Amino acid sequence: MIGIIESILTGAVRSGTPILYGTLGEILTERAGIVNLGVEGSMVTGACVAFITTAETQDPVLGVIMGALAGGLASLIHAFMVVTLRANQIASGLALMFLCLGVTSFIGRPYVGVRITGIQTLTIPGLSDIPFLGRIMFEHDVLVYLAYLSAPLMWWFLFRTRWGLYIRAVGENKLVAFAMGVRVQVLQYSVIGIGGVFSGLGGAHLSLAYTQSWVEAMTAGRGFVAVALTIFATWHPLRGVLGAVFLAQPLLSASRFRPRGSMCPPTIFICCHMC
Amino acid sequence: MKRSLMGICVIVCAMAIWACGQAPEEPTSKKPDEQFKVGFIYVGPKDDYGYNYEHDQGRLEVEKQFPDLGVMTSENIPETAEVERVMEQMIQKGAKLLFPTSYGYSDSAINVGKRHPDVVLMHAGGFKHSTNVGTYWSYIYNAMFLSGMAAGEVTKQNVFGFVAAHPIPQTLQNINAFTLGARMVNPNVTTHVIYTGEWCNPGKASEAANALLDLGTDVLSQHQDCPRPVVETAAKRGAFSVGYHSGDLQKFNEKGWITGADWKWGELYVEIVKDVKAGKSDKWVNRHHRTGLEGGFLDIAPLGSAVPKETQDKVMTWREQIRDGTYAVFQGPIKDNAGKVRLEEGQKPSFEFIETMDWYAEGVVGEVPK
Amino acid sequence: MEMLALVRNNRVIDVLRMTGMMALAFIAVGLLLLSFGKNPIEAYGEIFKGSLGSTYGLSEVVVKMIPLMLCAVATAIPARMGLLNVGAEGQLHIGAMWATWGALTLGEWPKEILLPTLVLLGFLGGAVFAFIPAFFRVKAGVNETICTLLLNYVAILIVEHMVHGSWKDPMSFNWPFTREFSDAARLAFYGNTRIHTGLWFALGAIVLFYLALKRTRWGYELRIIGDNAEAARRAGIPINRYIILTLCIGGGLAGLAGMAEVCAIQGRLRPGISTGFGYTGFLVSWLALHNPLKIILMAFLLGVLSLGGDMIQISLELPYAIVNILMALIFFIVLGRLAAGRKEY
Repeated sequence: MIGIIESILTGAVRSGTPILYGTLGEILTERAGIVNLGVEGSMVTGACVAFITTAETQDPVLGVIMGALAGGLASLIHAFMVVTLRANQIASGLALMFLCLGVTSFIGRPYVGVRITGIQTLTIPGLSDIPFLGRIMFEHDVLVYLAYLSAPLMWWFLFRTRWGLYIRAVGENKLVAFAMGVRVQVLQYSVIGIGGVFSGLGGAHLSLAYTQSWVEAMTAGRGFVAVALTIFATWHPLRGVLGAVFLAQPLLSASRFRPRGSMCPPTIFICCHMC
Repeated sequence: MKRSLMGICVIVCAMAIWACGQAPEEPTSKKPDEQFKVGFIYVGPKDDYGYNYEHDQGRLEVEKQFPDLGVMTSENIPETAEVERVMEQMIQKGAKLLFPTSYGYSDSAINVGKRHPDVVLMHAGGFKHSTNVGTYWSYIYNAMFLSGMAAGEVTKQNVFGFVAAHPIPQTLQNINAFTLGARMVNPNVTTHVIYTGEWCNPGKASEAANALLDLGTDVLSQHQDCPRPVVETAAKRGAFSVGYHSGDLQKFNEKGWITGADWKWGELYVEIVKDVKAGKSDKWVNRHHRTGLEGGFLDIAPLGSAVPKETQDKVMTWREQIRDGTYAVFQGPIKDNAGKVRLEEGQKPSFEFIETMDWYAEGVVGEVPK
Repeated sequence: MEMLALVRNNRVIDVLRMTGMMALAFIAVGLLLLSFGKNPIEAYGEIFKGSLGSTYGLSEVVVKMIPLMLCAVATAIPARMGLLNVGAEGQLHIGAMWATWGALTLGEWPKEILLPTLVLLGFLGGAVFAFIPAFFRVKAGVNETICTLLLNYVAILIVEHMVHGSWKDPMSFNWPFTREFSDAARLAFYGNTRIHTGLWFALGAIVLFYLALKRTRWGYELRIIGDNAEAARRAGIPINRYIILTLCIGGGLAGLAGMAEVCAIQGRLRPGISTGFGYTGFLVSWLALHNPLKIILMAFLLGVLSLGGDMIQISLELPYAIVNILMALIFFIVLGRLAAGRKEY
């Protein structure tokens, strides 16, 4: 029994990582008063660019960096639309998703069958020997550790630093923030960009570590789940971790429960969770 | 915003007028009337290193053999009424022979065939045919049986994992043959199955593979259209891989590679195209064309270095026996995993027995989802 | 004289500018194609030739337009009062599911009774499913956008659960789809095409929406809420009732699209009955600025593009994705223009 729980939780940590990245990015963006439904788009862009870079240079580290940057760049389109042009945030986010899905499936086309050496598992010596927790938490790849380290860092940034205060101020009331001397537009641009970087990292984890392959639209709704988790976590990074581990995993990989035969229970389980 | 709409109108009209004006030129084809055209339709991307990749290799062989042929392809076409339109569009473009290659295209192929009696449709693996629709399949379970045998000797844990998509007869044949083959040499083997419900979803497939490895399996096989994620997950976690669809998968898990099933559609496609082109389509339509290892459209992939020499020899001997018909994978006695005898001692399986399989053989854990 | 007046109003210039901006999307995608060594002119030629160049192509464009128009109206009605319904995809699935239930259990009924029942079931299914976000919006102030968006996934999972489970055709050898519907449950096709009677649902919905907007108090109040919700509230307009009403009617229409898909095109329920009709419908509605008559035009444009997407794949071996890029760029341009112009919104 312990073995099964352990394996489920290990899987949860692993498969929750791309979503956690997306959620953290979205928390940051929404704290500054911008809803970005384009997380899916940034994520798929990150996955695609990270994969292409790695395939061309055999360097997964460069792949991760490029993937993150690409995710950030993609989300800057959203920033331009909603901050500069003040277009509708929801519509612009969806448009970004459409655009990214289209562009990546076009430029990623020749890379579908390509083989890469992705990011390898890095077992942390010592810590991974802790019974139970060791396997769940310390037998993953670097991007997983980075994701779970980012959450407390983001909490600290949002609630303990001056910049975090500014971001929250912009989200609460732009005029007050402006009166405080915050350059609202610049701040929103950078926050959306950084949010996109996070989503791009999530995508990079998906294509370089989790599946080590690229297939068009491989994010399969993970971006939207991230947006949902943002609300579920009430815009709090640490609760986002809980959400990513305990909700996202059953949402997307119901297959884990299927060795017992039926396909029915997980779907119902999922529906209950979502509502 | 009226202007924007008028703008769109202007563009659409201009494009339409221009397109119509262009139409008579027909720039690409040399002899538009005489050219015999063939269409291939795939459910996934044609470079998935799996099902669609192998069909596309067959397509390339056809193009090589018949350079004058007009060949059209269309990928990522869902198994819904969508595919009917794609087939219609290909027929509009002059296709006389279509290969809808996915299992779920069956009904659509029959429907389109009804509307176009002059077009020949060859559906892969289906259970329905008509006056101008035929089906073809090569019983891939033969290769899975041999792979199971090799895996049965290599495994240390005696627990196999199988990542499947849908519990359809084809898949159950594979799971059962795989398990039967393994238990032939190692009666302690059991197989665990996970269904992803999709032919190709890398995320789900890797997660399923991980789940199976967590259950303690050390050999992973599968029936997925894009088999790479499962093979790569096995490689990443140091487990053995039995490939599926394509022998080229070996490079994704060199160390743990056992063997696998490997399609060779090229020869069959060339044959079909030759016959249909010469007007001899009767040989193919209105029937189910089925072969096993002896047909040559299917084989086991090269055995990997993980398999000891004597096991390799053993597998090759069995391969010969299956090829020349002295041994059949499904021959009595066969029990299902609830203990019910499915095939009596000495009984030969009928076409329906194989094509409507809905049970797990002894050694497979769980129940077939209903 | 007329021309002169137009020029003076800058309308010609405006049309030209808009045409130019639209052309920008086409040029951008063309450049993308060029940079990958493909001939954009050939590609565009193929898109329009494939869809507008033959009766068959045109008929298939109309077939695509049916669910697109219904889903667009499903988005447009709530959008008129400032609600964002991104859930047409899910409502379509649930509508299809309820209609399937009717077709499977009541399949023996005579056609004259069965079909209206199925239409009703389809509408109700979508409406009930849209009631969920409406209810949460009214009672708890839950954002309807996110809620409808996520319910799409729930709807698809429910449909998959049914076709993998109790509704699976016993003769399908475990392949996930339901039994084929009886002939009484099928909508009629016109001639040799796949255009079906569902076309009248779509056109009817659009005309009714148009008339309701222009001629009724209902439409008038809707527009007032859309313009200024606070003022509307003070004027005593029951906003909550309108939220529930518009979302449910919209959901019902999307459900109708689902019913038409399973009862006409597919003939049975299976996973993937919609190729993103709900999302493309959302796009149609926005491109048409939620204006009923323009919805027909935009549904036509997107129908042409999506059909052409198949065509470039078949004849030029270009990925379908080109068309998605094109649609997204047009969407961006219209959105940006909308915001920059500050017109109507």
